[in-house]
Amino acid sequence: MTAKAKPDPLIHPITRLSICGLLAAGADWVEFAALRDAAGISDSVLSKQSRVLEDAGYVEVRKGAVGRRPRTWFRLTAAGREAVQGHLAWLSQLEEAVSASTGDAQQPRPLPGDRDQPRRVLPPLLGSS
Amino acid sequence: MRDAARDPATLELLRVQRSRLADRMRPPWWYLAGVAILWALVFACPFSSRYLPQGVPTWPIFVAAAAVAGLLQWGLTRATGIKLPFRNLRYRPGRPVGIAILVVFLAASETEFLLIRRDLIVAAIVVAALAVVAEMACLQAALRVTRRELRGGGGAA
Repeated sequence: MTAKAKPDPLIHPITRLSICGLLAAGADWVEFAALRDAAGISDSVLSKQSRVLEDAGYVEVRKGAVGRRPRTWFRLTAAGREAVQGHLAWLSQLEEAVSASTGDAQQPRPLPGDRDQPRRVLPPLLGSS
Repeated sequence: MRDAARDPATLELLRVQRSRLADRMRPPWWYLAGVAILWALVFACPFSSRYLPQGVPTWPIFVAAAAVAGLLQWGLTRATGIKLPFRNLRYRPGRPVGIAILVVFLAASETEFLLIRRDLIVAAIVVAALAVVAEMACLQAALRVTRRELRGGGGAA
């Protein structure tokens, strides 16, 4: 995937990110109950947030019925898919940056030129000067 | 509302949610039974050349099989709540399974024709039964690929 890493304020809230991330997982259409259960959110939250995404043109909604039961299906539009991939790429970069910085903090750095005492280390902040 | 950037476990949460979605992609027993019956019908077709009277067309069997396959797919979509896009052999993750399905179909059909022509009916039945088992194994493998793709995000980070 070569999506341009770009944050999207509309899908930044975690509920909308969950909805979009699930719709971008590879399925064409996802039914309301499946999306609700996978995201672990309530019916009302899914209704409300999906409407926001639909108004923004990120999600396409198809309503139908099987017998008396109403069935609602969701799928990402092309614009929505692009936005989600960009946002997820941005989040991945963020995650990598965070894990790299914490990894640096955990790994002791040897003193430059201190060959006689290879075990002697400085804390990361002091060593970076 | 929670802010994704302030929560370091955001992507981890999304992975868990995708895993939950992928777990829904487990077909009910009637789907597996229906597909097995369909393959059994398909691999029974070579026998029609010998046992059906001349002039009886076999195309209605294929039309009926296609209709039942469509119905099964519709039922699976309803049961799982997930409609997958149509994928051909250009879809890389599913390509080995797709090729395996085709190879088993062609090899088993040809072998059956050969055996029936040589009056080795029992052997032909055994080949047909093995082919149905192989096709069902391929279906399970295809479903595993689908679940793995759903878990991994199907290309989205």
